[in-house]
Amino acid sequence: MSEIGLTVNARKRVVNVDDDMPLVWILRDTLALTGTKFGCGVGVCGSCTVLENGKAVRSCQIPASEAKERAFVTIEGLSLDASHPCQRAWLEEDVAQCGFCQPGMILTACGLLRDHPNPTDEEINTVMSDSVCRCGTYPRMRKAIRRAAALLREQKR
Amino acid sequence: MAKIPSGKLPDGAGWQPALPKAERDTVMSATIGPARSRVDGRLKVTGAAKYSVEFEVPECAYGWTVESNIAKGKITAIDAKAAQGAPGVLAVLTHLNTPKFKSAPKKEGGGGGSGIRNEERFPLNDDEVHYAGQYVALVVAKTIEQARHAASLVLVSYAPEEPLLTMEAAEHKAEKPKKNNDEHVQIKKGDVEAALKDASLVKIEQTYITPTETHNPIEMSGTIAVWEGDQKLTLYDATQFVKGVQNILAHAFGLELENVRIICPFVGGAFGCKGAVWMHVLLAAMGAKVAGVPVKMHVTRRNMFVGAGHRTPTRQTLSLAATRDGKLQAIQHVSETLTSTVGQFTESCGARSTGVMYESPAIRVEETVFPVNVSTPTFMRAPGECPGTYALECALDELAIALKIDPVALRLANHADNHPIKNVPFSAKHLKEAYQLGAEKFGWAKRNPEPRSMRDGDLLVGWGMATATYPAHKMSAAAKVQLRANNTATVQCATHDLGTGAYTAFTQISSEQLGLPFENITFELGKSDFPFGPVAGGSNSTGTVGTAIHEVAGLLHKALAELAVKDSKSPLFNLKTDDIAMVAPGRIGLKNDTTKSDAYADILKRAGKDSLEVQSEQKPPEENKKLAFQSWGAHFCEVKIDPLLPRVQVTRVVSVMNCGRIVSAKTARSQIMGGVVMGIGMALTEETSYDPGTGLPVTRNLADYHVPTNADVPEIDVAFVGEPDFAFNPIGARGMGEIGITGIAAAIANAVYHATGKRIRDLPITQDKLI
Repeated sequence: MSEIGLTVNARKRVVNVDDDMPLVWILRDTLALTGTKFGCGVGVCGSCTVLENGKAVRSCQIPASEAKERAFVTIEGLSLDASHPCQRAWLEEDVAQCGFCQPGMILTACGLLRDHPNPTDEEINTVMSDSVCRCGTYPRMRKAIRRAAALLREQKR
Repeated sequence: MAKIPSGKLPDGAGWQPALPKAERDTVMSATIGPARSRVDGRLKVTGAAKYSVEFEVPECAYGWTVESNIAKGKITAIDAKAAQGAPGVLAVLTHLNTPKFKSAPKKEGGGGGSGIRNEERFPLNDDEVHYAGQYVALVVAKTIEQARHAASLVLVSYAPEEPLLTMEAAEHKAEKPKKNNDEHVQIKKGDVEAALKDASLVKIEQTYITPTETHNPIEMSGTIAVWEGDQKLTLYDATQFVKGVQNILAHAFGLELENVRIICPFVGGAFGCKGAVWMHVLLAAMGAKVAGVPVKMHVTRRNMFVGAGHRTPTRQTLSLAATRDGKLQAIQHVSETLTSTVGQFTESCGARSTGVMYESPAIRVEETVFPVNVSTPTFMRAPGECPGTYALECALDELAIALKIDPVALRLANHADNHPIKNVPFSAKHLKEAYQLGAEKFGWAKRNPEPRSMRDGDLLVGWGMATATYPAHKMSAAAKVQLRANNTATVQCATHDLGTGAYTAFTQISSEQLGLPFENITFELGKSDFPFGPVAGGSNSTGTVGTAIHEVAGLLHKALAELAVKDSKSPLFNLKTDDIAMVAPGRIGLKNDTTKSDAYADILKRAGKDSLEVQSEQKPPEENKKLAFQSWGAHFCEVKIDPLLPRVQVTRVVSVMNCGRIVSAKTARSQIMGGVVMGIGMALTEETSYDPGTGLPVTRNLADYHVPTNADVPEIDVAFVGEPDFAFNPIGARGMGEIGITGIAAAIANAVYHATGKRIRDLPITQDKLI
């Protein structure tokens, strides 16, 4: 067990956890931020995705010892009122079904849109295909990403 | 190969043109409810929706299991000393020290409240090992890391026995079950043998294989068990059946039913694997009881392949005989499937496809089940219908080619107006319109039937189609409503939202039935404290719970009428309550003179009441034996395949469904799309493989078990035809969670044949099989 300092959603936190504990469990069990989900533990499903400097990273692959002194944004930090353009687009396209993979999908989309503000279908498929949705929301997700891209461009204007 | 005449949209037997567009739109506006967005959408995009293991319980410990690495035998010794002494450990449970579970509820069929146990045993109560991966010990510790570490220190010794792992090995134990629940699964009508021997008929006989598939919802199963004293138990459990879990846990621990509470407001996908009570649920409760602390148990992704069910593999042999003009004279469907040695779950492929789909003077369905030392299978989205339609619809495609008839025309020529076995008419069946609309939307008339004849640049293009079908199931439910004087209402039922859209659909049905604005309704589910809701399975929830809402709305209107007729200030004063009903939103009045009416809010205010509460009774559903109730649909799909590296890409899907009334247009469309996406996985990527020596799955994570992702899934055009099926229930809805996955694997396999000229009869259709 070690004391580890990290920043989550712009707030400095200190947690006392096992060095090997993956960030996903620090977020969910220690900080009670359960919007970040655990789906596979081997970095293939994407449901534990969080943002670091705007880039999507997988919190199940970051042990506590490596998470220290870094800053992460979870779905709760994107906005609690669904006002972020990605969340808005997700609502407007009614993407979610069971909803479990969706925080990870939304944050993965945020990372995609940072690098590709106007993504092609191929770019969407390349980035989003690393994440798994068992309900099969993919076609609506693609629409939502295009809509979010438009909303983000509007916001910048 | 002989040139097949170019496929034109057929003019088959009984073909009727679809309604003109204007008329079609009028019918459909009554059939398809408003396109509401999900009421729980905001919770789901902000991370605020709370799934079962996310409830905060103070001082909660963690459970971690030890699993058997042999498939059959006895445990001869367990050395748990090191584990017991490991840091943070609160208890180590094995069969040597675990208290006996009390009893299991008597089994009831259908949607009864008895609960579902697919694995019909209690964990850690004896030394027998029935399958590899069986839980043989449970460690409870303060942290998850401590529990996992201590579990690795438990040493188990076994006396292994030779396991039965295949159909061939289990031949001597094979059984031919007469029934699956109430449904006959061995069917014989007419003289199948004579038709199959008739030299004047065209025949097809082929065997189709489907592998083990695993549900893999992204939320894994999990439970938090909390005891208050030794007589009260609360479980936060990821389940499709809160009332079933309540009943089984009450029996297992000898508790009063009302002292067992099950809470599950959101389920992160289930597809069947959270319908039964699996061993981890009983273990969490037992671990919490023995350790004296609340216990949280996550089933690991690895164990989701063993401890929460799977779709059993099937081997199906189809024999068809037809006249040269395409009239079926015999269909024989012989299916062989596996089950475990500790359960009776069976996947009735033939009865649920060939037993309902086409007219034929002779039909035979046979089902053989082989019990093996593999963990217990369970329902997975359309159990029976899904693999059954795959085999039958591929065989029909092979027959269409042999007959040189368009696949749609062949299906129309054998359309069943009546149930082929029960011989009663199908209610509100609009399958012909589904074929027509699907063919129109897809552009099927442009299909050149010659295999390998259609290209897109270098890519081979294939077009395939298949029929979809799923029965309309009816169970029983009750509901409670509280109407408030401000014209808002809360409606409750112990039903579930697995991502299906139940919250939204039931809010819509409540709004319509109660006569209150959508925004004024709060619909609550997922708690065993609420009135009875059946398992969220068999696509029954919308119709069953919708009927309960219909009944409770009637009771509410009656209760309001009783207040009004006693109130001298009401326009309804002294009238008979039987003559009064809802006449407009928010108003009850005289059925035959709507000028006499009164507003709910006014009635309550004058009676000095802030609210009015009524509850309906759970009663067995009414059976209508004069009609057969079944949903239908047609899938059309396009695949593109690089001939040099034959990876199949599904590029276009049109699915037209006939499911009675569509309560909630958006969520319904999403359900069909979801079924199609899972069907793409079934056709092309999904397979759980087992080690032939141990019977343990070797695909035990999402890296090895390939679920479709974004790039595998094209745009999916979903449309609905038909009319509300009010002969089935007062809501007119037949349900739609499962039909989307039926037939789609066949449509894809048929398109692959059309593209390549290669018929792959064992799923999934991977590259190696096409090279």
